[in-house]
Amino acid sequence: MISFQQVGKRYRGGIEALQEVSFELARGELAFLTGRSGAGKSTLLKLIALLERPSRGQVLFDGRNVGKLARRQIPYLRRQIGVIFQDHRLLSDKRVFDNVALPLMIAGVPFGDIRRRVRAALDKVGLLDREQAYPPMLSGGEQQRVGIARAIIARPPLLLADEPTGNLDPALSAELMETFLHLNQAGATVLIASHDLALIKRLRRRVLVLDQGRIIDDLPDRSTADQGGEGSQHG
Amino acid sequence: MARGRSGTLPAAAAGLRAWARRHAFSLLSSLGSLARYPLASLMTISVVAFALALPLALQVALQNIERLAQQWERLDSLSVFLVPDQSESEVNRLVSRLSNWPEVLAVDPISPQQGLEELSLQLDLGTIDALDDHPLPWVLELIPSSQGERPGLVQRLQKEPAVASVVIDLQWLERLDAMTALLGQLTWLLAILLALGVAVIIGNTIRLDVQNRHEEIEVMALVGATPAFVRRPFLYSGAWFGLLGGLLAWMVVIAGLLALDEPVQRLGQTYGEPFMLLGPSAGQVGLLLVGSALFGLLGAWLVVAQHLRRMDP
Repeated sequence: MISFQQVGKRYRGGIEALQEVSFELARGELAFLTGRSGAGKSTLLKLIALLERPSRGQVLFDGRNVGKLARRQIPYLRRQIGVIFQDHRLLSDKRVFDNVALPLMIAGVPFGDIRRRVRAALDKVGLLDREQAYPPMLSGGEQQRVGIARAIIARPPLLLADEPTGNLDPALSAELMETFLHLNQAGATVLIASHDLALIKRLRRRVLVLDQGRIIDDLPDRSTADQGGEGSQHG
Repeated sequence: MARGRSGTLPAAAAGLRAWARRHAFSLLSSLGSLARYPLASLMTISVVAFALALPLALQVALQNIERLAQQWERLDSLSVFLVPDQSESEVNRLVSRLSNWPEVLAVDPISPQQGLEELSLQLDLGTIDALDDHPLPWVLELIPSSQGERPGLVQRLQKEPAVASVVIDLQWLERLDAMTALLGQLTWLLAILLALGVAVIIGNTIRLDVQNRHEEIEVMALVGATPAFVRRPFLYSGAWFGLLGGLLAWMVVIAGLLALDEPVQRLGQTYGEPFMLLGPSAGQVGLLLVGSALFGLLGAWLVVAQHLRRMDP
């Protein structure tokens, strides 16, 4: 689904955020992206959602080179991708309901469906009772979950998450990872940038390790051996 | 939007419905942003209204003056010069006879002595001894009634043996016509200038709104909003500002007409002729509202297009 081919990203000022990054992410896969802060995790995610354009190499999404995508095609690409931002990117003057509903409003979904689907998404992240609240009234973890509800509401085939558990306590983090696993089982391809190594280790999924803008390790999925067990746990 | 249309017929219909829903969302969103800062919105609308009320009021005033001038043309007095050396009793007899004509409202005789005084006053000559040899004739100031035709009256007067000539002073009316035509042109020029001003005022308001909602615009783009979708609420806001400003301008002019109604009626009574002020026509109001909404849209569009390009969300 996603293919990086010798991708480099140099920011203005000469900082090399990514160098010669190559990897493939298959449809239906769930992978973690890890590395120290400043290793290039956020940049890598931004290149996929076209929040940045690569300086070198190619980023392919479903076989299409997103770096060459026409400007007016970008919104349609972004609708295929649910992004969970580290800093939430919620609208503080809009209610939780309206924040989560935004992707559906943009897609022109009927209002009745929007109501139903927003409720379902908020229920999934455990915030159904906060739909009338404004984001500043919520805790960091709650805001993060609102961001997740917004990312998943339009059921995009690809989910990108930038440190989704950064502000959460261990119990909530584990719960959230369950949510991602569910979504992955339902068919979504998921790429999660995180430095929560304990959690990543426990899930035994594929891990891409970034260091100073290069992929230095690509640990394969080792959950296959006990996937049946895990599946029954989550399914 | 093009995607919805590319499918089968039901898909096209669904696409159209989605399009309509997106527009409904933008419309509500634009109204919401107007209501969010009621004072600022009201101020913008007021400025727009005053700018638009000026040319509209001028045009309405001109229309009423033109209508009034048509009435005055009928009411304008005729100067009837009599042949020289008429005695006062002869003149009085003529006056009472003319007063009985149905097309005559009033006759006011001016004696040669009065005429001379008026003339010397006007010319600032003091006493005019030089005119002694050429005495002025009697002049009758004749006000026609509203019935009857003026040319017929003039002909009938000229048949009178005592009448030398009839002078109709229409020159000032012609000047008035020319002046109102000139003012009419000026009004249009003013209207165009102020309409551009309205576009600028509204554009500036929308510019502030875009800056305030910088974050919202970015987030909308992040979750896949097209530039058209991002732009649309602002365009609607611009059109609303224009339309509401136009409506307020109309109300201001109507209020002005109501305030002037009584004095104008009193003025009309002194002419013995009722005069009603007319408000702007339906066509004018329509033009005002559509035009102001369009210029609001134009102002918003110029600003938003430029800002979004620079922001590049």
